[in-house]
Amino acid sequence: MTEPMGRFTAVDAIGRGLQEAPVLRQGIGVTWLLAGVGAGGRVVVPVMIQQAIDRGIVGQDEVRVDLVGWFGLIAVAALVVAGIAQRTAIVRLGARSERALYDLRSRLIGHIHRLSLADHNDERRGALVARVTSDIETLTQFFQWGGLAWLLNGTLMLIIAAVMLAYNWALALTVFVVALPLAFVLHAVQRHLSRAYDRARARNSEMLSAVSEIVTGAETIRAYDAGEYVRGETNTTVKRRADAQIRANIIGAFLFPSGEVFSVLTVSAVVVMGVWLGPASGLTAGAMVGFVFLTYRFLEPVAEFTEVLDQTQTAVAGLRRVLAVLDMPTGPPQPAETQSLPSGPLDIEVRRVTFSYRSRADRALTDTPVLRDVSFRIPAGQQVALVGATGSGKTTLGRLIARFADPTDGEIHLGGVPLRSVSNAELRGRLVVVAQEPFLFDDTIAANVVFSRPGARAADVARVVDDLDVRDWLDALPDGLATRVGERGDQLSAGERQLVALLRAGLADPDVLVLDEATSSVDALTEVRISRALTRLAEGRTSIAIAHRLSTAARADRVLVLEDGRLVEDGPHADLLMAGGTYSRLYAAWMAATSASGVSVSGA
Amino acid sequence: MSDPSPDAETGAHRLGRVRRAIDLVGSMVRLHPRLFAVAVLGAFVFAVCTVAASFAVRWVIDHVILPRFEDGAVATAAVVGGALLVIGIGVVRAAGVVIRRSFAGMTQWRVAETVTRDVVDRLVRQPASWHQRRADGDLVARAGVDVDAAISVLAPIPFTTGTILLLFISSGWMLYIDLVLGGVAVVVFPLLIVLNVVYQRRVDRHFDAAQDHLGSFSAGVHESFEGVQLVKAYGAEQRETDRLAAIAGEVRDARVRAVRLRATFETLLEVVPSLTNVGIVVLGAYRVRSGDVTVGELSSVVFMFTLLVFPLRLIGYTLSELPRSVAGWNRIRSVLDDPLEPDPVASIGPASERYGIEVDGVSFRHAGEAADALHDVRLAVDRGEVLAVVGPTGAGKTTLIEVVGGLLPPRAGAVRLAPGSRSIVFQEAFLFAGTVGDNLSVGRAHDESVLWEALRMAAGDDFVAALPHGLDTMVGERGVSLSGGQRQRLALARALVRRPTVLLLDDTTSALDPTTEAIVLGNLRTVASATTVLMVASRPSTIALADRVAFLVGGRLVAVGAHRDLLGAEPAYRSLVEAFEDDRAGDRSGVSGVSGVSGVLGAATIGSDGS
Repeated sequence: MTEPMGRFTAVDAIGRGLQEAPVLRQGIGVTWLLAGVGAGGRVVVPVMIQQAIDRGIVGQDEVRVDLVGWFGLIAVAALVVAGIAQRTAIVRLGARSERALYDLRSRLIGHIHRLSLADHNDERRGALVARVTSDIETLTQFFQWGGLAWLLNGTLMLIIAAVMLAYNWALALTVFVVALPLAFVLHAVQRHLSRAYDRARARNSEMLSAVSEIVTGAETIRAYDAGEYVRGETNTTVKRRADAQIRANIIGAFLFPSGEVFSVLTVSAVVVMGVWLGPASGLTAGAMVGFVFLTYRFLEPVAEFTEVLDQTQTAVAGLRRVLAVLDMPTGPPQPAETQSLPSGPLDIEVRRVTFSYRSRADRALTDTPVLRDVSFRIPAGQQVALVGATGSGKTTLGRLIARFADPTDGEIHLGGVPLRSVSNAELRGRLVVVAQEPFLFDDTIAANVVFSRPGARAADVARVVDDLDVRDWLDALPDGLATRVGERGDQLSAGERQLVALLRAGLADPDVLVLDEATSSVDALTEVRISRALTRLAEGRTSIAIAHRLSTAARADRVLVLEDGRLVEDGPHADLLMAGGTYSRLYAAWMAATSASGVSVSGA
Repeated sequence: MSDPSPDAETGAHRLGRVRRAIDLVGSMVRLHPRLFAVAVLGAFVFAVCTVAASFAVRWVIDHVILPRFEDGAVATAAVVGGALLVIGIGVVRAAGVVIRRSFAGMTQWRVAETVTRDVVDRLVRQPASWHQRRADGDLVARAGVDVDAAISVLAPIPFTTGTILLLFISSGWMLYIDLVLGGVAVVVFPLLIVLNVVYQRRVDRHFDAAQDHLGSFSAGVHESFEGVQLVKAYGAEQRETDRLAAIAGEVRDARVRAVRLRATFETLLEVVPSLTNVGIVVLGAYRVRSGDVTVGELSSVVFMFTLLVFPLRLIGYTLSELPRSVAGWNRIRSVLDDPLEPDPVASIGPASERYGIEVDGVSFRHAGEAADALHDVRLAVDRGEVLAVVGPTGAGKTTLIEVVGGLLPPRAGAVRLAPGSRSIVFQEAFLFAGTVGDNLSVGRAHDESVLWEALRMAAGDDFVAALPHGLDTMVGERGVSLSGGQRQRLALARALVRRPTVLLLDDTTSALDPTTEAIVLGNLRTVASATTVLMVASRPSTIALADRVAFLVGGRLVAVGAHRDLLGAEPAYRSLVEAFEDDRAGDRSGVSGVSGVSGVLGAATIGSDGS
């Protein structure tokens, strides 16, 4: 949640943003020009009224209707031109900003997918999703409303100011001087307002969390008769939300009226000043009337501007967060020069590997190593189990072999080639990881299997199903391979999700298999299917199982035992048991715990 | 509601819609009528002052500006008076806005508060079975976005009311000044309202489409980031990026379409009033020549017309928002009007002295399913006994726990429990956002020592003691994140804090490693020996802790008895348990001959045969 945010000033952020989204800059000058012409349309009416009064109505012997008619025609033409220009400007800005934000979004997604796994933990996922969704949305909102307002109203105010100066500089200055304090008043109100709205938003999400607890915890609440308790807590959040919203509303209620008050102050000042100057200064009645209208139009957008200012701040903050993610380094670096892996089965060599997780706050500071000086070699085709207590480093070692991260020290070679020199595409084609809690997309089983080899044919999938001997399971499902698995696969049991993951790995047909075994319990029948499929999958491949069930270790060719990040034992299951070391202790504890009869015998 | 057919936009249909909208506003306003009345009053002040402002402008032009510039002189009193008039009216008008907006906001959010409380009340009082039939996100939306949508119409209503008043006064005023000039303005008002409504409706369709696409985009991004390890494992980073970018492209396209539409209408709404003004001025020149109006009157009509353009836009906005509010309100009502279902707990009677749990011919069927999830289940658990429920996936184990726990009402039969409190621990531990202590005591006052004792029994005291603030550590969304095992231990401790006479565990210990599980269940045995325990078990080690086993298949109770007896008597039970043990058969080659490690199933079977 704590990206380095302070690195960009607002101006830097906007500059960087324009660099990252070059589409935005294209043709911005033309858009601005069109907006200027469009905004010009808004002074047509006041100017026409002035002209009509001065030349056609007042001070003439007879009202010159024909002249006023001509002015009317000119005004209509001007309005039509201005309208077309304004429409074009809005479309240009809107379409371009959407295209730019689409580009930015796509780049951001690609970047996030390439971030190191360490940056992808559960706590940060929401934040990363927010970068791609709501933060980019603040920019969209800005371009659709705020950006447009800057463009149209900003130009309009400039034009009106110019017209007023052209009419009479003294009156124009009167307007500016009297209206100036409005900017400060509005700024102050706006500051309070945005704080009040932040607060209201926070209270709103507190309320929603409380309500969603009532819903998701419905069973727990009833099991513990906690209805009154949660109702009380929730209603407090409901009230606090209403209070915060009302507060924000009241502050907001002063925003528009302050503009109103300043309008009448300014208009009165213009009248008094104009009367004092009198016709001797060259001022006319029409100009005075025109000025009154212009003053209203000049101050109209000011109140809107303050809202736009807030939106702009939000957008810049969103942009900063997006840029900060784009600046995060991606996962293990890609080699400048790649080396190809030899064909056929691959051996794995781990050479004096040490690994520490970097602490985020201070890159120089590293935690105590998770792996210390680990070395071993796995010949091609061997099946190895990594065993150790929780926190012994076995999962980390698996991740290093799969190159989700690089060792802090030491090297890992695959088929004699340093992992750092293998291209990502080739590595992922040859080495496959099956995660502890396999992830499934909300799609069919078939689609989830084919994920590992897009474009695989139905026959390929059928072959893998037979190879792994899970046809009976699939046939028992309502729609076989076409069965939808639900969100995260929640329509399937934990064991069934693993079966899908194994099919997926099988379809990829890798040379090396890294298998993070599941800890969660699985019903017995599925358990049997999983171990059968696993045995078949591992056949003929180099495989490393991060074993939580020691039955897996017992079946492996060789067991590597880790303790506190060090490799302490290495050998076949039977030998290690005989040796009576760490492994035999782990195994005895596991057997005692998982044996039904063992306990009941001792209890008898 | 009483519309005969949805075939077309018939008059009756439209009328129905209008009536629904009025009903909606009426029923919400009734909740806080005084706040609403003050807001409307503020709007009226604003409307009256708007007309007055145009009067002031006319007065200033006719009595200050023209005399000065045509006749060369004006009385100072007139100048000062004119300025004060303009300022005074402006200030009162501004005050009207402050009052209207403040009180409209109060109405809106107090109504939201009242309605949300009602929804919360329902959510709390409906039983778990009601909740199970509904999607979580949907229910949260009732109290969240639906309430917001329903009340959103309240804020602009006082303003709209004021504007309608304003329209009448100003139309009258303009017609009074001059029938021709006023007539032009009065004709254009409805046109502008229609233009606004059509615009809002049409542009909303595109924005809604964009919003839908954005929703699927967010869901896709969330899923893709959640599965990032998988994506990396298969080198699918670019593929996933392309897939998501395609959805983002649809968001972009819908937005661009909306922008085009918006650009057209924004421009029309800008240009049409200006054209009208030009027309008024040209016509005005005739009227001035014929002596029907003064220059000040002409200016004030133009001024008035300009002032009304913005409020007219808001009327259009309000009208176009109405359907959305009505839809939100209807969704809220569907929850509020749903009759309260009886609490299944009320039907639980007291068990006879010998038993902790009596399940007497209980059947249960999930809504919308053809077959019973439980069928005529008869089971009696002795006081203090630990009974394991074992069965294949889908056997109805969880349903049995929920019926016994009073969460689901039996279709037939009855549940009787020993007097005292019951605790249920679910497969997935649910923690409230709050402190560890809050989560253990759930709204009741308990001594800290009681909490620690429960934690100790659930093997959770060590990790809680190691938390930064012990029992006061925040957990949940904004607190520390706990592992599945730690959450499960907290849930267990929560169950034990109440010293339950009946404890129901739904495969609770599966998130714990077998060693910890054995310790926890051992503690339960020794300390809470008077507690009757019914627990779903899927691991042999869990089964081993039970006095007896109930074997459930397809919602029917197949057999009840000691584990060893069932192994002998029930081939299906035997194969279910053996299937698990088969996984360990692979060890046998390695195990054989190693002393101290025993306990494969074969040994157990022999042991049971021998006893």
